[in-house]
Amino acid sequence: MIRYLARRAAHGLLMLFGVTVLMFLLFQAAPGDFLSDMKVSSQISAETIATLRAQYGLDQPLPVRYWQWLKSSARGDFGYSFAYNTPASTLLLPRARNTLLLSVPALLISWLIAVPLGVLAAGWKSRWADRLFAGGTSTLLALPDILIALLALLIALKTGIFPVGGMTSINAQDQGTWAYVRDLGWHMVLPVAAMVIGSLTMILRHVRASVSEVLESSYMRAAEGHGLPRFKLLFGYALPAAANPLISLFGLSVAMLLSVSLLIEVVMSWPGIGPLLLESILARDLFVVIGAVMLSTVFLIAGNLMGDVLLYAFDPRIRSQA
Amino acid sequence: MTSGHLGLPKPEPLLRVSGLSVDYDATGGNVVHALRNLNLEIADGESIGLLGESGSGKSSLALALLRLLPKNAHMASGSVAYRGRNVAELSPADLRAMRGAEVALISQEPALALNPVLSLGRQLVDVLRAHGKLKRTEVSARCTEMLRQVGFDDPERVLRAYPHELSGGQRQRVAIAQALICQPKLLIADEPLSALDAATQAEILELLQRLKRDLGLAMLFITHNAGALASFADNILVMREGEAVARGTMDRLQASTDDYVQGILFPEKSLANSARPQRTKESGAALLEVRGLSKRFVQRRMLSRKEFVMLALEGIDLALQPGSTVAVLGRSGSGKSTLARCLAGFETPDAGEILLEGKLVAKNKAGALPPVQMIFQDAATSLNPRFTARQIVAEPLEIARWKTDAERTARAMKLMAEVGLDPDRAARLAGEFSGGQRQRLALARALAAEPRVLIMDEALSGLDMPLQAQMVRLLMDLQSRHGLTYLYISHDLNFISLFAQEVVVMDAGRIVERTTPEMLGQSVHPATRELVEAAERLHAPGVEATV
Repeated sequence: MIRYLARRAAHGLLMLFGVTVLMFLLFQAAPGDFLSDMKVSSQISAETIATLRAQYGLDQPLPVRYWQWLKSSARGDFGYSFAYNTPASTLLLPRARNTLLLSVPALLISWLIAVPLGVLAAGWKSRWADRLFAGGTSTLLALPDILIALLALLIALKTGIFPVGGMTSINAQDQGTWAYVRDLGWHMVLPVAAMVIGSLTMILRHVRASVSEVLESSYMRAAEGHGLPRFKLLFGYALPAAANPLISLFGLSVAMLLSVSLLIEVVMSWPGIGPLLLESILARDLFVVIGAVMLSTVFLIAGNLMGDVLLYAFDPRIRSQA
Repeated sequence: MTSGHLGLPKPEPLLRVSGLSVDYDATGGNVVHALRNLNLEIADGESIGLLGESGSGKSSLALALLRLLPKNAHMASGSVAYRGRNVAELSPADLRAMRGAEVALISQEPALALNPVLSLGRQLVDVLRAHGKLKRTEVSARCTEMLRQVGFDDPERVLRAYPHELSGGQRQRVAIAQALICQPKLLIADEPLSALDAATQAEILELLQRLKRDLGLAMLFITHNAGALASFADNILVMREGEAVARGTMDRLQASTDDYVQGILFPEKSLANSARPQRTKESGAALLEVRGLSKRFVQRRMLSRKEFVMLALEGIDLALQPGSTVAVLGRSGSGKSTLARCLAGFETPDAGEILLEGKLVAKNKAGALPPVQMIFQDAATSLNPRFTARQIVAEPLEIARWKTDAERTARAMKLMAEVGLDPDRAARLAGEFSGGQRQRLALARALAAEPRVLIMDEALSGLDMPLQAQMVRLLMDLQSRHGLTYLYISHDLNFISLFAQEVVVMDAGRIVERTTPEMLGQSVHPATRELVEAAERLHAPGVEATV
C-alpha cells in the first residue's frame, strides 16, 4: 500500500516538474514580457527598462531563469510577482484557500448527489424513466458554465436573498466568528450551486452507465436469484462492482471542477485563483501564472492520488497487483 | 416439511410448468422462440435431468422458473407454479422470499456468478441474512459448515478471499454453497459441472445426492453431459430447439432410436472410427522445453503488511516433441492454467526457463508472428463481441503487419473455412456465433499466426459433448495437416486416449506423474487415481470408457 502510493506520488511530482518546464517554455515562446508595455510609454527611458529587466533577471537565458525559480521555490517563494512586488506565494496561497473553499464542497456535493441518483436511475429502467433522464441530463449538459454562472447572478439580483458576488460582506470581519462564518457560507451558496450544476450531470451519466452495465452481468442475476433485497442489490452489489471506472472519474472530476471554478470565480468575483490567473496572464506576471497553474496541477494530482487510494480500498484485484 | 410458507398442503407437485413458451426479441424485430409449449412437473424430493445441446432453451427454462428472464425475453404462454402458486403473479416480496430460500439457482457461468469486488464471506452471509434474522455466531457457523460441505478444508480462508483468488472450480463450489445455504426445497442447477474438473464434478454430484437425501431436496439438473445424470436423475427430459423431444428414465432413453437422443447420450460414438495418430516416441530435439519453472502469487490486503504466498508452479520440467500432443491433467487449482499462461508469455515465471527449439523464449518482437498460440476456455469472453469474425481472425496478422489488408482478409476467410465455419459469415459479429462456433473462431485466430505450438487451456470444457467430439476431430485433422504440436490442458479424461500420446498429471503446482493414456488406468498415484475414478463414476453405463 505504502509503496503503491509512494510510486503514484512520485509520478505526480514528475508531472509537476514537467508542467513547470512546459510553462517556462510556453512563456518563452509567447511574445513580450511584463516590461513590454512600459516600452510604449515615452516617460520611461530604455535604460530604466534595461535596468529593471536585469533586476528581475529577465535578461538571463531560460535555463538560468528556471534554476533561479527552482531555488526560489525551494525557499517557498515560488518566484516574484512583478506587479505586486511580493513573493508569488504570498499572493497565491490565500487565493488557493479560497478556491478550495468553493471546489471541495462542490466536489463533495456533486458526488453525494450523483452517486445515489445515478444508481437509482440505473435500477429504475423504463422507457419513460430513460427519456426523462436522458432529456434532463442532456439539457443540463448543454448549458455552458458561463450561462449557469450568469443565471446565478441574475437570481441573486432578482431575489435579493443571496449576495451578488464577492466572498464576504464589507463589515463581516467585525461581527464575531460565528457571524463571519455564516456570512461566508451565505456567499458560498450560489457559486457552489453553480459549480455543482456544472459538474453533476456528467458524473450522474457516468454512474448510471457504469451501474447499468454491471446490472446486466451474470453475478447480478445470480445475486437476484438468491433473493437479495433490491436495495442491497443496487447499493451493496452493483455499486461496488461499478465503482472502478467511477473512481478514475473522480480524479478527472477534480480537474473539471477546477476549470469550472476559474470561470465562476471570475464571473462572481470570488477572490480565488481564477481572477488572479486572468489578471496576471494579462499583465504577463510570469511567476504568478506559473504558480497558479502549478497549484491547479497540485490539486489535480491530489485528486488523482485520492482516486488511487479509493481504488486500492475498493478493488481487491488492484490490491493483489499493487 | 412439505408445508412450506408459501404453499397449501395439497397433493400439488412442488413445481409445475405447463405449456410454457418463452420468446426473445432479437435484433431487427425478429422473435426467437427459446421454449415452446413445455410441460414439466417436479415432485418433492424428485430429481429431473434436463438434457440438450447448447441453444436448446435449457437455460431459458431455468431463468423463467425464477422470473429472472432478461428484459428482452418474455413468457409468451403457459405458466410456472410453485406449490400451486403462479410465480408470475407473486408480489415482489413473495418472489424474493421464494428465490434462494425455496428455489435456488446455480448459474451457468460459475466464473462469473460471484461479485468480483466483494469478499466471498460477505456474499455468502448476505444470502443467509436475506432470508431470516440470525445471530452473528450462528451466521459464521453456518457459513463455515456450508463451505466444508462443498469440499473446502479451510473455510476461514475462503470466507476472507475474493473471487479472483480462487480457481474456477473453487468459485463454482462457493456458488453452490451460496445456493444451498438457505436449504432450499428445489435446486435448479444450470450446467453446474461444466467448468469443474472431473474429480470435483464427482464430488459435487455426490454432495448434491447427499443433500437430496438429507433435505428432501428436489432438483432440476440441466446439463449436456448424459453421464452426470445417469447415477441420480429419476427422470430425464431431452430438449431440442426449445421443445421436449423425449422423456423417461435413462434406460428407456438409451433404448431410443432417435438420432438426436443417441448423439447426446453417446457423443464419443461419432469419434470411434477416427484413427488416432500413432507416433513413435521420437528421441529428437524437443520443440518446446521447460526447465525448472516456478511461479508464485502474493496476496495482500488493505492496511496490512502480511502477505499470503500461493505457490502456483514449482519446478516444472516438460518437453514437447514436434507434432505430438501432450495432455496436462489435474484438478482445478493444480497450476495447469498458470503453466499455460507462462508458456504463452502472459506471466513471467519466477524461476526456470522456457526454450523453443533450444533457444530461450524472450519477449516476442513486433512484426514477428508469435510461435506459441493459446486458446482459452471460454470463447464467449476471450473474443471481443463487437469485432467481426474477419477482424478477430485477422487481428494477429494485423498486429504483426503481415502483408496487405486484402491478403489478410483472404487468409482469414481461408482459415474460417479450414475450421469449418462459413467464410460468408466473416462480416458477422462474434457475438452472433454460438458457443461452439466461437471456439472454432478462436481456433482460427490462433492458427492465423501459423504457430508451432498450440496451447489449449480447457478449450473444450465449455462445450457440450457432441461439440467437443467435433472439435477433437478438427484438431486431429489440423495436426496431421500442419504438423502442429499441442499442449492440451484438461480436468477430465474425455477424448484423451483418442488424442494424446503423453499425459502429465499435475497436483498442487507440481508434476506428479508422467504416463501415457493407455497406462493412465493403472496408475497408483492418488492424484491420478482421483481423476480416473471420477471419470469412471461420471460415465453413463453403456458409454464406452475413454481410459
